[in-house]
Amino acid sequence: MTTIAAASQKNHIRERSLVLDIVIYLVMLFALIVCVVPFLYIIAMSFSSSEAILNNKVSLWPVGFTLEAYQQIVEYPNFFIAYGNTLIYTFCGTLFALTMMVLFAYPLSKNFLRGQSFLMKLVVFSMFFSGGLIPNYLLISSLGLTGTRFAMLIPFAINQFNLIILINFFKSLPGEIEEAALIDGLNWFGILIKIVLPLSGAALATVGLYTAVFFWNDWFYGLIYLNSSQYPVMLLLRNIVNGTTMVGDAGGVGEKASVAIAVKSAVIITSTLPIILLYPFLQKYFVKGMTVGAVKG
Amino acid sequence: MKAKKTATPMAQKTSWKRYLGQYWQFYAMLLLPLAYFILFKYVPMFGNVLAFRRFRPLTGPYGVSWVGLRYFKQFLGQPQFWNAFRNTLTLSAINLVVNFPIPIIFAILLNELQSLKFKKLVQTVSYMPRFISTVVVISILTELLSPSSGMITRLLKNWFGLAPVYYMNEPQYFRFLYVLTDAWQYTGWTAIVYLAAITGISSDMFEAARIDGANRFQQIIYVTIPTILPTIMIMFILKVGNLLSLGFEKVLLMYTPSNSIVSDIIDTYVYRMGLQSSTNQYSYATAIGLFSGVIGLILVSSSNFLSRRLTGESIY
Repeated sequence: MTTIAAASQKNHIRERSLVLDIVIYLVMLFALIVCVVPFLYIIAMSFSSSEAILNNKVSLWPVGFTLEAYQQIVEYPNFFIAYGNTLIYTFCGTLFALTMMVLFAYPLSKNFLRGQSFLMKLVVFSMFFSGGLIPNYLLISSLGLTGTRFAMLIPFAINQFNLIILINFFKSLPGEIEEAALIDGLNWFGILIKIVLPLSGAALATVGLYTAVFFWNDWFYGLIYLNSSQYPVMLLLRNIVNGTTMVGDAGGVGEKASVAIAVKSAVIITSTLPIILLYPFLQKYFVKGMTVGAVKG
Repeated sequence: MKAKKTATPMAQKTSWKRYLGQYWQFYAMLLLPLAYFILFKYVPMFGNVLAFRRFRPLTGPYGVSWVGLRYFKQFLGQPQFWNAFRNTLTLSAINLVVNFPIPIIFAILLNELQSLKFKKLVQTVSYMPRFISTVVVISILTELLSPSSGMITRLLKNWFGLAPVYYMNEPQYFRFLYVLTDAWQYTGWTAIVYLAAITGISSDMFEAARIDGANRFQQIIYVTIPTILPTIMIMFILKVGNLLSLGFEKVLLMYTPSNSIVSDIIDTYVYRMGLQSSTNQYSYATAIGLFSGVIGLILVSSSNFLSRRLTGESIY
């Protein structure tokens, strides 16, 4: 698969057209601004004093700089509990998911394996037809997982798109290496652990990141399966924003309402920060899944 | 194991015993994930029988007695269901019409950028919203549109003299806001597919067009777009196949009783009937879920079939 960066080269031989270039730059600048401005606004709100917010003075830069909002969420014990929950779900959930998907994907990447094509059909079919909300909910509760952290950690380990990314990646590895290892006396488990996995860093990073982002961002499954002490931070945020949960002075009127806005903004920033900070460094892995793992059975 | 000269598969010719001796470890690997997969993907699928059975609490997820099509008749006679059904199709169709072309245009323009650094920057920034939680997206939107302090509310008031309204609550803005946030979140990400297709175009094509006197705009119209047309086609067909699957979580986050007339889609209706109402009408909700699941399956498989026929490509 050709990379996106490489192709840009050919543009350089193409002649310039001033009008077109200006239009394109303006459009792209607009796209950049539209992507960034909402975050700048929320950051500005979270650091602004309540008077400034009340008087509608804040737009893209903090006015009357204060850490009051952050102080309030730090003093609110549920915030740390929820943040800790999210960290647990993200870390353990991703680890479990990767283990299951690697064990599933490696045999499925072997076309010669009897039953492989049937299993692939099983996987692909489940992408187009699923149990739906209620049967899934009833399954989780009849397994006794509802109200335990396992309801978040266990049921979401195998995502078919991610699985297919891994299968396609394993298929792309040169078979000669495995044959050589087989001759050297390694069994298939040994080959998977000692040969295949060390070569699969990029694919594992891609799939691991998608999975981690899923766990980090989830709020809905937390809502239907968990007790409030087990809520992830995104669910806490949702509850703060729609007024189910009050943090500090959030939910007050007048002066207090503007504190509420600052507090909401601070929760948005703190809960999104890890993704925003890590994203630029891991970007290539994020994009890889889209190009390498083109979904084909 | 050591007797085997090579791992080259001779699967069909070897006997089962020899075959298993060679490959049993693959099946051992499969044991746990396959059991898991069946439990969490296929058991709920069969759990759909609940749509035809009466549910009793504490008697397991499959109900106690057959009632035939009772729940189907029940929801098909429900105006609320048809409202949700219409809302689903309308919102999906608007979203398709608006948000299908935008990533294509974005990819084409992105490819025309002369400065590699700027291009890289735009790519990096525009992919990012895809990884932001819908909760965060909707929370930011709610703040931007807040009637008392929202920046957009203020802009609309100062520039166009529009009186502050609680936009998130008003039914007439719901679809617009849904489509807008989808554009914000997914334009850059979806453009990757088209960008990859444009990247695959041989530079000879542009060269030839240039020699024929085509300027850059004409090159876009006569070279770029026709060449990526198969990609556009397959993406379009797949999008149509997924017409019933909207961003359920986003709709649920934007759902308020006052905008429910347009924001109640099939998925939120199922959720409200099954998990939110005090009576927990599991069977009723399962029947609706199954109904929309089957329509979805038919749409996806026929669009796949169509795609394979027309472009030779499909997702399975």
